[in-house]
Amino acid sequence: MEKIMEENSNAIIMGQGVNDFKGIFGTTQGLQEKFGDNRVFDVPLAEEATTGVGIGASLNGLYPIQTHIRADFSLVCMNQIINLASKYRYMFGGIFEVPMLIRLVVGRSWGQGAQHSQSLQSTFSHFPGLTVILPSHPDTILSSYLYAAEKYMNPVISIEHRLMYDLGFAKGVYATKSNPLHSSYIVREGNDVTIVATSIMVLETLRAAEHLSKSAGISCEVIDIHSASHPQRELIIESIRKTKKLIIADTSWKAYGVGAEVCRWVLEKDPTLLIAPAKTIGMAPAPCPTAKSLEDLYYPNLFTLSDDIANIVTGNSNHGIPLPDEKSMADVYKKFKGPF
Amino acid sequence: MPDSPSIHYDKLFRVSLLIRKFEEKIIELYPSDKIQSPVHLSLGQEAVASGICACLTKKDLLFGTYRSHAYYIAKGGKLTEMMAELYGKSTGSNKGKAGSMHLADATVGMMGSSAVVASTIPHAVGAALASRNLNKDQLIVAVFGDGATDEGVYHESINFASLMKLPMLFVCENNGLAVHSSQKDRQSFNISTHANVYGIESEYISDGYNFCKIQKRTSENINLIKSNGRPRLLEIETFRYCEHVGPGEDFNDGYRSSSDFENWKSKDPLVNDKESIAKFIPGIREEIQNAVNFAEKSPWPKTEELLTDII
Repeated sequence: MEKIMEENSNAIIMGQGVNDFKGIFGTTQGLQEKFGDNRVFDVPLAEEATTGVGIGASLNGLYPIQTHIRADFSLVCMNQIINLASKYRYMFGGIFEVPMLIRLVVGRSWGQGAQHSQSLQSTFSHFPGLTVILPSHPDTILSSYLYAAEKYMNPVISIEHRLMYDLGFAKGVYATKSNPLHSSYIVREGNDVTIVATSIMVLETLRAAEHLSKSAGISCEVIDIHSASHPQRELIIESIRKTKKLIIADTSWKAYGVGAEVCRWVLEKDPTLLIAPAKTIGMAPAPCPTAKSLEDLYYPNLFTLSDDIANIVTGNSNHGIPLPDEKSMADVYKKFKGPF
Repeated sequence: MPDSPSIHYDKLFRVSLLIRKFEEKIIELYPSDKIQSPVHLSLGQEAVASGICACLTKKDLLFGTYRSHAYYIAKGGKLTEMMAELYGKSTGSNKGKAGSMHLADATVGMMGSSAVVASTIPHAVGAALASRNLNKDQLIVAVFGDGATDEGVYHESINFASLMKLPMLFVCENNGLAVHSSQKDRQSFNISTHANVYGIESEYISDGYNFCKIQKRTSENINLIKSNGRPRLLEIETFRYCEHVGPGEDFNDGYRSSSDFENWKSKDPLVNDKESIAKFIPGIREEIQNAVNFAEKSPWPKTEELLTDII
């Protein structure tokens, strides 16, 4: 955020609590002091108008960065995001552009419940005109946000995962791409199965891949899809051509989701690419419960993920591969420190 | 009739009459299906647009509604491109992708109009924020109907504008109707006095057919906005002559009376000032016919336009 503000004098940050002592998990902390209250400011609890103000500010020369401390609150802005922002360029025959960045934070664990935990990538990616990313690494946060602010002339929705703010990461792991907003990344090479993952499921999948490599010599190729709206389909298809097996691990529900979308291209491209059934992994088809015992069942975990991968790779549900003894993910993330 | 007709009166009269005759041409053409776009006609409301826009320059931005034909013309948008847009031709102001409801011409500060009630009000607020931050010497205007003031986003927007001390003008064209629902069935408040609650000074104008008065009051309000840097609101009573959408009249449908219509028309200079009508009508007819000819001759959008300008 600081780098964008330094390098782009027209950038502003507007959102509930961006100037408070918590500063959106520290991501906007101290920026009002540094850049002034004309460029970094708190807003009324008026999500639809605030989004519309961002659109209008963008139309008249600013680059607004808007934050929603929970992604769920962006549902109050759907009229502005879907009916206006996504259509402004097309609906007026290309005479207007609405470059802006909307950051949504997905919560998980500690009883976040039904309205603090939704991950809306398939909802937003459904609409032409929106660019939707789910960064899972500081490399892609930096490259995507700088590209969005400096070169991209369209609205971008970035879905950030709360559990990742406190993690440590090694820098410079991801490949450099010319347009990171339309990119996907191979983050682990392998031969036995292609696993396409979103957001924090990239980290979970890498942990499962590491376990299965050590315990059973299974070689997983893991792809961070990163851009839900404009993924690099060819990169994913080429991986599947090599491994001939496909799993999609998403942070949302499976119905009409990222998994369904990846399966659509594969089927439309070449239905003979796969030699085993595809597997989609996501949340249980229910609103998120708050009780920890139910929440642990609601989300996939390292145990179920490893089991699913082993099933697909061996073609046998009684695969006999030892599985990790996983407690709930939040417990892991409290002390989890990477690196990837 | 004004007491002493002036050049000023003539200019406003001509723009208002141009809007009226252009829309009457739409009504004439509509049965031919050449215009396949839902039209929300401004007939009866022309004076509000001509009075407001006479106080604006091209760099001042106006955000309108789906009933924006009048503003597009009054703000100086090209008539030829407007008719081509209504025809769905590639030479239209928006390449045939906007139609009647999303007319826009950035070169004259006619910003995008939207088919979702009240949805461009916050855009005007945001444009005013940008104008202030970037030191642009612009006035930003948000135009909306009385129906829009039912919407939450209207209240959110005027609060935001007042809180941030944004120099801009809110204009409510009050025709008393949201589609067919009357204002008294929808609102527990008075629009112009209610804005004061948010710290926004307001003014109510009851004779919305009087373009000279609207121009004068707008000009004075703009001066006040520029001198104290705060938003203001103008509520202007007006009268929608046609049905909500479409080219017809609907005084026989039982929800409003034709006597109110006749009463309003009896005060409408575009009906009663025969002398001015006679003076301007030949030039206006020619201008409109040129626009129709341009639209007729223009090509349809090419196939590749379907997937152009998405991102």
